[in-house]
Amino acid sequence: MERAVRLLDAGRSRPLPALALALTLVAGGFAAWAGQDWYRAAHDERAGYAAQRDAALSAGEQAVQNLNTLDHRELDRGLDLWESSTTGELHEQLADGREEFAAQVKEAKTVSTARVLSGAVTELDDRAGRARVLVALRVTVEAADGAKSDKDSRMLGELTWTDGRWKLSALGQAPVGGTSTG
Amino acid sequence: MSTTRHHINRQRRRQARESLPAASAASAGRAERPGRAERAERAERAERTAVPTGTRGATAVLKPQEVATAGPPADGAAPKAAGARPRRRPPALVLLCALTVLLGGFAGWAHAKAEGLRSEPARSNTALTDLARTSEIKGQVAKAVDRLFSYDHADPGALDGAAKDLLTGKAVGQHRELLADVRARADEQKAVITTTVTESAVEQIDGDRARVLVYADQSSVATTGKKAATDQKDKDNDKDNDKDKAGTRAAQDEGVYAAAMLAVDVVHRDGRWLVSALDTFGR
Repeated sequence: MERAVRLLDAGRSRPLPALALALTLVAGGFAAWAGQDWYRAAHDERAGYAAQRDAALSAGEQAVQNLNTLDHRELDRGLDLWESSTTGELHEQLADGREEFAAQVKEAKTVSTARVLSGAVTELDDRAGRARVLVALRVTVEAADGAKSDKDSRMLGELTWTDGRWKLSALGQAPVGGTSTG
Repeated sequence: MSTTRHHINRQRRRQARESLPAASAASAGRAERPGRAERAERAERAERTAVPTGTRGATAVLKPQEVATAGPPADGAAPKAAGARPRRRPPALVLLCALTVLLGGFAGWAHAKAEGLRSEPARSNTALTDLARTSEIKGQVAKAVDRLFSYDHADPGALDGAAKDLLTGKAVGQHRELLADVRARADEQKAVITTTVTESAVEQIDGDRARVLVYADQSSVATTGKKAATDQKDKDNDKDNDKDKAGTRAAQDEGVYAAAMLAVDVVHRDGRWLVSALDTFGR
């Protein structure tokens, strides 16, 4: 009788705490693992690089589109946008040639609208703040008489990190039939 | 004999434990505890006196005495232990449960956070962040485009072979459509069309799928001089002004270049990247 009581007593008091302890340990293990996983995800170097890549691409696409869009009725606004999207040599070129160019467009009375078909980053040096992008562009030019024409452009752009954002520092079209084959 | 004593001690402890909820709940219980301990002691003493009668001689007398001398400190400790233990044990269980829930909750939350971070679109796209894969894709796509858009009238089987090798899914039909005209014209003019990728950039890599933007130049060399030999020979956006002029001179094996741009979707299969879709931007 005594023994039975004692056994029952021992049997009752031990498994529950043991089980609780085991569960706590398992939960602790999960917590440690998940916490570490979270830390690693939050401090992933690739993630920062990927964010820079995407920032460079969207800035590049926007800048290339801006530089291929111009309405003769809103010249100043358009050209201001050109200048704010660029930096370095390209910026100087645009600023220097602004008057002349504005006069030409005013006379031609054209409205150019650009649409980005596709874009991608080829190179990215996030420390030096330089990136190279390819932007496939379709430019629609509306002449003074209302006639519209589409033209596709294969743009190559260079971006430089300036004043806390990516700006276009060089822009050109991919050369055709140049170097590769005779 | 001693087992009886242990049993009694345990019972006493249990009694004290039972009294604890009341003790902790009301301060009046505190006063009650010593009384209970006393009662238990009294019971023990009664047993001790009862024991010698049943057993023999000095040892029998001695033993209880030993116990008796050890008794007071043990009894003094008992209420303390009885007080400390009950306070620890059920709360310890509760604490463990709470800890389990807390840790489990944190684990789940941290996991969700990590997954959330990882599923950000910027991260799931490994273009450029995975340099090895990016250049592998660039290289294979450039080679694939070179083969898929080059055509030699003298060796029409090569293009079919390339199509069989490199295309999958809807790209098969797209490629056939894009090159149908080119083939017909090239056969007619006995032309050789050579496509060379000049620039490419990986837009996106998501696991075993990727999208690549490709700039390519297409040159055609006709061996029979015919007007408009290279007219619209290329598959998409041919904007080369030289083409008509060059066409008239094609007999002299003059090359003519056309600019092309297209986006290529590829899938990774059996260690190779196969073209699954071709996008010429509606041209």
